[in-house]
Amino acid sequence: MVVYGATLLNIALGLAVLTIGLMVVYLRKGDYRLFLAGQRTALGISFLVFLATIILVYNLLKSNFSIDYVAKYTSLETPFVYKLSALWAGQSGSLLFWLFILSVYATIVVLQNRFRYHQLMPYVISVMATIQLFFLLLVNIAANPFKPVDAGITVIDGMGLNPLLQNPTMAIHPPVLYLGYVGFSVPFAFALAALFSNRLDAMWIQSIRRWTLFTWLALGCGIILGGYWAYLELGWGGYWAWDPVENASLMPWLTGTAFVHSIIIQEKKNMLRVWNMVLIITTFVLSIFGTFLTRSGIVSSVHSFTQSTLGPMFLGFLLLIIAVSVSLIIFRLKDLRSEKRMESFISRESGFLFNNVIFVSLCFAVFWGTLFPVISEAVRGTKVTVGAPFFNQIAVPIGIILLLLTGIGPLLAWRHTSRKSLIRNFSIPVVVGLVTFLISFFFGIRSLYPLMTIGISGFVTGTLVMEFYRGIRVRVKKFDESPFAAFIRIVSKNRSRYGGYIVHLGIVLMFIGFVGKAFDEDNEWALKVGDQVEIAGYSITLTNVEEEERPNHFAWIASLRIEKNGKHYTDLYPEKRIYFHNNPDPNRRQPHSEVDIHSSFTEDIYSIFGRIDTETDIISLKIMVNRLIMLVWIGGYFLLIGTVIAFWPSKSSV
Amino acid sequence: MNKKFTVVIVAVVLLLVFWVATGIEGNELPYATIGELENYQGKLDGKRFRLGGNVQEGSIVRDKTNPLFVGFIIEQGDETLPVNYHKITPDMFKDGVEVIVEGEFVNGTFQADNLMTKCASRYEGDLRQTQMNEIEL
Repeated sequence: MVVYGATLLNIALGLAVLTIGLMVVYLRKGDYRLFLAGQRTALGISFLVFLATIILVYNLLKSNFSIDYVAKYTSLETPFVYKLSALWAGQSGSLLFWLFILSVYATIVVLQNRFRYHQLMPYVISVMATIQLFFLLLVNIAANPFKPVDAGITVIDGMGLNPLLQNPTMAIHPPVLYLGYVGFSVPFAFALAALFSNRLDAMWIQSIRRWTLFTWLALGCGIILGGYWAYLELGWGGYWAWDPVENASLMPWLTGTAFVHSIIIQEKKNMLRVWNMVLIITTFVLSIFGTFLTRSGIVSSVHSFTQSTLGPMFLGFLLLIIAVSVSLIIFRLKDLRSEKRMESFISRESGFLFNNVIFVSLCFAVFWGTLFPVISEAVRGTKVTVGAPFFNQIAVPIGIILLLLTGIGPLLAWRHTSRKSLIRNFSIPVVVGLVTFLISFFFGIRSLYPLMTIGISGFVTGTLVMEFYRGIRVRVKKFDESPFAAFIRIVSKNRSRYGGYIVHLGIVLMFIGFVGKAFDEDNEWALKVGDQVEIAGYSITLTNVEEEERPNHFAWIASLRIEKNGKHYTDLYPEKRIYFHNNPDPNRRQPHSEVDIHSSFTEDIYSIFGRIDTETDIISLKIMVNRLIMLVWIGGYFLLIGTVIAFWPSKSSV
Repeated sequence: MNKKFTVVIVAVVLLLVFWVATGIEGNELPYATIGELENYQGKLDGKRFRLGGNVQEGSIVRDKTNPLFVGFIIEQGDETLPVNYHKITPDMFKDGVEVIVEGEFVNGTFQADNLMTKCASRYEGDLRQTQMNEIEL
């Protein structure tokens, strides 16, 4: 079985080379049979990758410890689900998983477009096969997931999966994130195909609109799930730390967001054609770069895998993509340029353009801050670290500007907005914004950024609600529908527009959630049973500490009684666990703090059991009161729902 | 119009880039490993910085009555340095692990208010170290 896995990956590598060869010859000779053969070999690569992945999963589930990877990431006691998720827990497995998702996409692309886009498909298939080829090289040469355990060792039980990864969110966060990362390879392949074939009309944009939305959504959800996992599991009470690898996933999301907006301009106005090429190529490059950051260990991070030989290979591949893409764009520049011109600053086109500029600038800021330590060491020879203060200093004001644009955009007309319509459109939202600003000021908020964010959130919400109201009113008048029926109708008739508005509402909610961060409180104490402490109007009593032996760990459970205004409010049970507690070597045992959280709309009470002194039974406890954090997660649901509405096929197009 | 547009966009971009590039100043923290500390002689007094090293075996001392108080020694080669910390320690903090501490010197002891553990074996383990799980043939 094990041998087969590695062999399948070998053959797949050969097929990838063959596919590219067939397509190149087809494009020169024009013999259609070559194209059909290439289509089949392309499907063949993916099929072999599926088989190899299934074999690895089978061995993970069966605990075949003769495979190095299985022995390192699972043990006999690892629960079933996490034996499965061990597929993406380590270096070589996660690379195979990347390849697996890429192959799923490649299969769908080939099958879906069998009878469409004949000019583009040979190039699309070649580009996809080239990306597959690169990852096949990685798993065949640099990180073979089927590598047997070193000679001379017989492993009776594996090392087990890191307990931090044994969490349902962690089981789904990487796959969702990968769906996003990998997914950008499809729009990228179509973009390159358009450049190669010189079919630079709107066709390639149409062919990838829904792919792009899906991918963008998956990446966004992956990022949010990652934050949610960190919040639940890492025990520091936050969801975003500007860690290099978090940044790595944020960067393609930022350029991807710019792209999702700017393709609307190309669809409607046939403008920004060069820019869109640059954006999608950048996004794909950043996706690969993100994978590279995680894999190479170039920037130290909680996420990064150990240093390996993968770094140079990734760099080489990145340089190849950039070189090919840039030369193609330069070569086609004349054909790419659009004759259309911007007509006015106060137009929706220019709103979109500014949105793009700012998204890309923010991406640059994140890129700069992430790589600065590397650059500094190489150029100045001094080691520095760049932390959250830098990113917040830049990202907060830029974020506020973006939020503002979210509200302004829909109020601007295409081409040019007249003064009269400006006043008519802006008056209500501006008043709503001012009122929210004054109310929050009245309630004692005095810091600049939170005040601005809340005021602008009011403005944006005003805009969005007005947009819905206008659409509904027109239908109610014209067709005599009930407002609810009219609401359903306008959304289903114009999915991308109203789906987009729902996403924007989600973004507003998330921004208000971010504002809450400024009002968080936390404290740490050493407590005995019976001790009582106070924080943010809550009084917290440690009523009991229990011990419990469970199947794969040992736990101390603290019982906390939380009172508010002298009345019982809730109870929390944070735990201190020791995984691998039966291991005679104390260094192999792994402590883990399992937090307990009480959530409400306005605030979360977040409890962390730090440590117990087994002689004195004194425990260390940290309590955080995190304001408005739930809005971040609710905003995430809006993002999901809105995007699904936007990319759901309308009846006419099916 | 297009020329005007280009000028405005370029100006905005330049402004943002300048702002980002200079924004690092004052937000960067010097980082040194203990081994490199002597290069900084005197330069770091009263300054915040980050320091990397390994926790010396057996050096972790905790206050029995207050588990929040912990003292330990970080080492690299022959260089050692005592560190004080008085917050909840991360789960991965134990003898031998690589840590990064953030804080400043107070009377020859490093007072850290931020402690991060770096643990390579977290993702890539070494099977040979798990003696219990293997039998040498």
